[in-house]
This record gives sequence, structure tokens and C-alpha cells, in this order.
Amino acid sequence: MSSNAALTDLIIKMADDELVLGHRNSEWTGLGPVMEEDIAFSSMAQDKIGHAWALYRILHENLGGEDPDRFAFMRPESAFKCAHLVEMPNGGYDFSLIRHFLFDHAETVRYESLQDSSFEPFQLLSKKVKGELKYHTLHANAFIIQLSKASEEGYARMQTALNDTIALAAGIFEPSAAHEEELIAEKVYPGEKALYHRWLDRIYPVLVKASLNLPDMETITPVYGGRQGFHTTHLAPLLKEMGEVFNLDTEASW
Amino acid sequence: MSNESLDPRVNRLKLGDASAVIKVEEGENWNVYEVFHQEKRGAHHEHVGCVHAPDPQLALVFAKEQFARRKKCVNLWVVRSADILAFDVEDEDMFANNLEKNYRDASGFKVMEKINKFKQSK
Amino acid sequence: MYGGGYIFDEPNGKQLREEQQHDDPGKLSAFEERIARGEKIEPGDWMPAEYRRQLIRLIEQHAHSEIIGALPEGTWITRAPGFKRKLALIAKVQDEIGHGQLLYNAAETLGKSREAMINDLLSGKSKYSNVFNYPAKTWADVTVIGFLIDAAAIVNQVANAKGSYGPYCRALERICYEESFHLKQGHDAFIELATGTPEQKAMLQDALNRWWQPIMHFFGPPDKTSQHSEKLMQWKVKMASNDEMRNQFLDSYVPKIWELGLTLPDPLLRKNADTGRWEYTDPNWDEFFRVINGGGPCNAERLQVRKWAEEEGRWVRKALMNPAERRSLPVA
Ligand SMILES: [Fe+2]
Ligand SMILES: [Fe+2]
Ligand SMILES: [Fe+2]
Repeated sequence: MSSNAALTDLIIKMADDELVLGHRNSEWTGLGPVMEEDIAFSSMAQDKIGHAWALYRILHENLGGEDPDRFAFMRPESAFKCAHLVEMPNGGYDFSLIRHFLFDHAETVRYESLQDSSFEPFQLLSKKVKGELKYHTLHANAFIIQLSKASEEGYARMQTALNDTIALAAGIFEPSAAHEEELIAEKVYPGEKALYHRWLDRIYPVLVKASLNLPDMETITPVYGGRQGFHTTHLAPLLKEMGEVFNLDTEASW
Repeated sequence: MSNESLDPRVNRLKLGDASAVIKVEEGENWNVYEVFHQEKRGAHHEHVGCVHAPDPQLALVFAKEQFARRKKCVNLWVVRSADILAFDVEDEDMFANNLEKNYRDASGFKVMEKINKFKQSK
Repeated sequence: MYGGGYIFDEPNGKQLREEQQHDDPGKLSAFEERIARGEKIEPGDWMPAEYRRQLIRLIEQHAHSEIIGALPEGTWITRAPGFKRKLALIAKVQDEIGHGQLLYNAAETLGKSREAMINDLLSGKSKYSNVFNYPAKTWADVTVIGFLIDAAAIVNQVANAKGSYGPYCRALERICYEESFHLKQGHDAFIELATGTPEQKAMLQDALNRWWQPIMHFFGPPDKTSQHSEKLMQWKVKMASNDEMRNQFLDSYVPKIWELGLTLPDPLLRKNADTGRWEYTDPNWDEFFRVINGGGPCNAERLQVRKWAEEEGRWVRKALMNPAERRSLPVA
């Protein structure tokens, strides 16, 4: 069994990504481009926040971590380990869709890899979220392909958003010098590098179908730092807002 | 920057003027698809409503969340509303005499009566 | 939620009553007999022009109320305290958008397109429930809305679900099912504050004080002043009078507020043991009409935000439009 420190580190990264992106995506609830899509996007935001909650619970129940609400709503910014990708403000729907597409495929390959993790709670969780993730990527693929093929404007917006987002998305797979080898050796998960390649294998055929050009991954510099607690200027205000009510009285029940 | 809304989400939007004329074009909410919901394997698909979507694939994607995010569901059908063919309401009278044609119905045949009559006659 | 019980009248009732006279008398009496027998009317059926017009107006205003109603509560989506509240609030606001979707579809079966309805909302031609022109200032406001505004909406929607128009009734059936979750999660969050710290309690009492008048306004002007149409009742478009619904709401929910040690800002509020009816101070109806006509604290913001959403999403909708496709309105 691998050490608690290594497992804890991995879980926090995964959970913080889900929480912060779910939070961002939920900002679209009620403001989406058409009611049907508003509903679909909101469900997927809820799923992400739900995944975060489940992961914090694993931390709490299996690894001696804090109560999930307190852990999520009271931690200082520097203790967060989310990737910069999820911190970025929503911008337009084009950026939100591409982020959703890139992140959810990354999420999918990660959870798939946990199906036979040596850490049992991961196995259970990956089974539980499998169907949700299948819907998320089905939704993302359909939108990316259709918008890119439908009109010049749709295509241009998708390609631009992809170009602007790809380095941030590659940052999801920031390696961890301290813990990764141990987790791989203990068969907890296959490591960031392996997941990164699986991710490229997933997104590439979809981009081909959409006639979008994947930027040359050799030339881009993945945006790292989030996993070490270094964040964009967008995270601190997000966390302050998220915890605003909770922190009025952290001992009270809300 | 701030719109002075109480909603921090709204304060991040670049709102236009309240009096601005914004019009949605006819057809901008796409076409209408009827949605049929199957609650369990072996059951009929039942009509539950419709979604607006640009094509069948997205109609299905949308129907999944609008009509199956709570209720038990194993499958959905979508079909363009324009492709549904139905009888006119005035044609309801075509169905009027269905119940009277008891020669189509088990209850229209009194075998026991005949058997008893036969037995008594012996 | 949220069909405000009050259907906002356009000032052309007279002209329409004339239109009414052109309806075939034989068909009209068959139609009215059908409703009297408790049968539902379906989209393809013959119906009086006035019935169609009133229903479109009713369902459309109800639909607008859902998507505008998503805004005051949406205010707190990014700040809801704790996972459960956060998820429940997003799911609840999502449901309201879903209700809008169902209701626009029901209205479309009567012949007005969703786009036309949205345009009438954006231009101010078509109204939505007045209660959403007030701000949700604190977290406690969300609990008051979730509990009491949704409760009021349920009273209204349960009544309307017994109406005569099939597609509207079917939409309301589904809506009422989801409203029971809204009410429950709202009540739960409300109780949490009512039974919490002194600060939480004070926060809730303050919100309750501010929302009481809009809640009393919710069902519309008193029966004695509103010329509610006999016809609409006969046609089962309007199912209960404003005062009846208000009384029913008070009867069910005032005790649930009082039992938590909270007060309501109306010294005259009490149930008359003899009549079984609630007595209260008449809310300020001038204020009601002032707010309906655009003078409320949030009217401008609500429409500005809706306009923003329509503008922002336009490129997505336009890119995927297929003008060559054979289009139609919903069939049922
Ligand atoms: Fe996802
Ligand atoms: Fe609703
Ligand atoms: Fe509701």
C-alpha cells in the first residue's frame, strides 16, 4: 500500500480540479445559449462538484482528512492543487466548451485508469462515475464536431479556443516529483505521462472529425504550477466568493 | 467593470443597456423533436415531451438531461415533430364503435351456455 | 416554480370579446360541454380564439417566470455554503430552466413560437411574476424563496394542473413533482437558519420581513378589485380565485413559519376561527402595479441579464441553425 501522503496529494489534485471547474461551469446555469443546453451543462457541472465531494470524502474517511465541507470551503488558496485550466474565468461559450471537451477527456482517461487501482476506493468511484463521464464526452464531442462543421464562425471560434486552451489543458498532467513514482510502483495509477498520452489518443480523432488542428504538442509549453500551489490571480477571488457564506460562521451549520 | 448587481456572476458579465433592442430570429431555437422515454427494458417507449435541437444527435443529448435526469430510464427515442403523422381530431368518430364489436372479443362468445344446454338436453 | 396566479391583462379585452362573437356557436357549446364534462382540450381541437389567446398568455407568462425566476436564486449559486446546499441550489435553478422549457413547449402547441415568446419577454411586452423583481440580498433570501415562493407557486400550479388544456396539465404534472423537491430543500435550509445561531436567525427574520409583501402580492390583487373573468373559470383556464389561493397558502404555511419562532410583519395576520379564513393587512397594491410596470428594484437587471444571455448564446444557436429543414411546432 502506498503512503498516505502520496495518495492524499493525488486525491487533492483531482478533487480540486473537479470542484473549481464544476463551480466555474455552474456559473452558466440559467444563462446558457439555449434552455436545453443550459440544463445539460448544469448537470455536468453538478456531476463535477459531486466528484469532488466524493473524493474529499475518501480523503476524510480513508486517509484521516478533514470534513469535506471544511476542507473545500475553508482552505487557503496555496493549499489548493488545481490546474490553472480550471481557474480561468468562463469567457465565452467557445472557451467553456473547449475547456469542457479537453478536461472531460482527461478526466475520463484518469478515472478509467483507476478501475483497477490498488487503492480500492478509487475502483469503486471509477465504476460509479463511468456513465456520467461517458455522457460528458458524448456531449462535448457532439458540440465540438457540429460547431466546427456548421459554419465558418463556428469553426474559427473552436480553433481559436483550442489554440488558446491547449497549453493550459496540458497542464492537467503536471508531474509530481515527490509522489508519482511511488504511486506508479504501487499500481495506484499509471502516472501523469501515461495519462497524457492516452488523453491525446482520445482527443485527436475527435479533432480530426471536426477538422480542427491540434497544435504541435512538442512546441507548446504546458502551464504548470497549480499542482504545487501556485495559482493564477483568478483562484483567490473564486475561493473567497465560494466560501463567503460558509465563512460567516464556520462553526454554524448551514 | 462592476454592474453593481448583488449577483457576483452578473457583475462579471458585460451587460448591455437595459433599453437595448435584442431580438431572436425565428428558427434560432432550432427544430422540435418529440421525446419518448423507456423506463425499463421490456417496457414501451412513452411520449414525455419535446426538445428543441438542431439535429437528432443533439436532440438525444438534450433529451437525456431534460427527460431522464431524475426518473428511471434505460433508453430514449427522439423523432422530428414534423415527421409525426396523426389523425385529425374530427376523425375521432372512426374509433367510436370499437367497443360494440364483440365478435372480436372473448366476452362475445358464451361457450359454457352452449355446453350446459347440451348436457341438459341429454 | 412560479406561475404567479395573476394573469396580466392587456388593455384590449373589449376588442377580443368582439372577436369572441365570431366563434361558431355550435362549436363553442360543444367545446364548453366537453370542458364541463372534465375532458381535456388538445392542440388540434377547435377552441375559441379567446381561449387560445388567454392560454398562450397564461402559459407564456408562467414560462417567463421560470427563467427569470432562475436569476434571483442564481445569485447565490457561487456562494452556497457547503456541498449539499451548493448542489441542491444548482439542481433547483436547473429545474426552473427545465420548467421554462416544458412550458414554452406547451405554449408553442397553441401556435406561438418560442422565439416570438422570448422576444415578447425581452421587449417587455409580456410579463413575468412580479416577485422576481426583488433582490436576493443574503443567503437567507434564498431559503425564503426556496421555501415560501416555491410553496406559493405550488398552490398555484396544483390548481392549474386541473385545468382544461392537456399539454399545460401534462407539463404541470411533471413540474409539480419537481417542486416538491424545491419546497423540501428550501424548507430544510430555512429551518437550518431558524434553528441556528442568533446571527443566522436574525438574517432569516430580516429576509422574511422583506419578502412578506412580495409574497402577499404573489397571487394577485384581491377578488373584489380584480375583474376576474367568469369565462376563464368556466373554461378552466383559471382554476381558483386570487383570494382563495392566497388563503390556502396562508393556511398551509403561516403555521410552519410561526412554529419556528419567527414573526411576520403584519400585526393583523390571524386565522379567524369562525370563518376559517385568514385575515391580514391588505398589502400595498399601488406598489405592486408600480413594480409590474418596471419600477421595481430589479426589473432592469433581470431583462438586461436575459438579453445578455440571448446575445451571448446567439452565435451557438445561429451556427447550428438549419434553415432548409422542415420545421414544426410540438405536437402534444
Ligand atoms: Fe466531466
Ligand atoms: Fe418552477
Ligand atoms: Fe421551483
